[in-house]
Amino acid sequence: MIELNATFFAQILNFLILVVILRAVAYKPVVRMLKAREDRIQESLDKADADAVEADKMLAEYKAKLAAANAKAETIVRNAEKRASEEREEKRAEAKREIEQMKKAAAAEIQRDRERAAEQLRAEVVALSMAAAGKIIAKNMDKAENEQLVGEFVDKLDKDKIGDLPC
Amino acid sequence: MHEIGVREVVQFAGLTFNWETLCMTWLTMAIVILIAFLATRNLKMVPSGWQNVLEMIVTGLNAQIAGTMGKRGSFLAPFIISLFLFLLVSNWLGLIPTLSSPTNDLNTTLGLALLVIVMVHSLGLYMKGAHYLAHFFKPTPVFVIINAIEEIAKPITLSFRLFGNILAGEILIIILLKLMPIWMPIPSVIWLAFSIFIGGVQAFIFTMLSMAYFAGAVKEDSEES
Repeated sequence: MIELNATFFAQILNFLILVVILRAVAYKPVVRMLKAREDRIQESLDKADADAVEADKMLAEYKAKLAAANAKAETIVRNAEKRASEEREEKRAEAKREIEQMKKAAAAEIQRDRERAAEQLRAEVVALSMAAAGKIIAKNMDKAENEQLVGEFVDKLDKDKIGDLPC
Repeated sequence: MHEIGVREVVQFAGLTFNWETLCMTWLTMAIVILIAFLATRNLKMVPSGWQNVLEMIVTGLNAQIAGTMGKRGSFLAPFIISLFLFLLVSNWLGLIPTLSSPTNDLNTTLGLALLVIVMVHSLGLYMKGAHYLAHFFKPTPVFVIINAIEEIAKPITLSFRLFGNILAGEILIIILLKLMPIWMPIPSVIWLAFSIFIGGVQAFIFTMLSMAYFAGAVKEDSEES
């Protein structure tokens, strides 16, 4: 059952042939393929790393750009607000000035009207009093005395408020 | 049904050959080469099917080789992988009815074991020179006797372990078929399943022990743990 014979050497030879064939047929292609895959994976990983770095860089760039844009927009808004407020202030000042002017003009006109009215009134009063005095005391008084009386009367009128006159 | 242990022999050039063993060995070689060829016929970056199996074996054994033998052992990888595939297919071949394992013949197992041992010592001498011889006399020169026994025991244990396991498995398959009536296949099936397991384990053990022996000869001293 366990006799040894020439099969022993045949089996060694057989196995060595198998080793040579397998090495050529299977081992080398597999190892080459594994190496290729390893290289490919390494390459992919390197590329992924590089891409990640690139993406980070781009993100930082975009963030910086965004910040710059934000800052710019803020500046623009602030400038616009400033200008608007300046304009508003200017408009208000102008309006105030105009109002002031109008007020002044109105006051001047009122003054003028009042003076004119006073003048007119005075003239009328003089005429009226002259007529009245002439009618009442035409015979008793000479002309000089008359003039004096009228002048006193008129002076008295000037001293009083025109608006308080009973006429 | 052939008689257990009686081998069909042929005479060629004055030498005796076990014909069945030779045929089964060639069949095994053909199967291994066919599997390897089919598996590596169109290798793809993304593996599928047989390529997965072959790659698993190659990468697994490569890792084992790198682990036990260090960098200098990598040139032995094809030998080790061939050994494993050959033994695996050999051991399982005998489980197919009418076929028998090449490894149920001591000629095969002792041949492989001696091949391994001769390679181990040759490589040891080639790579380490006198240093390799010196380590048989350590820690004291008296130990050379024990070391010699150990070295002689290596191929014997290696070959007889495999031979005994596989032959016993095949014998028991035949015996179970004879003992059990045909309607009671459960013991045979169980034993067949166990034999598949045994075949894998024995192929693995033979390969691992060969690697361990190679490692002792090839590995650099600084790498030894």
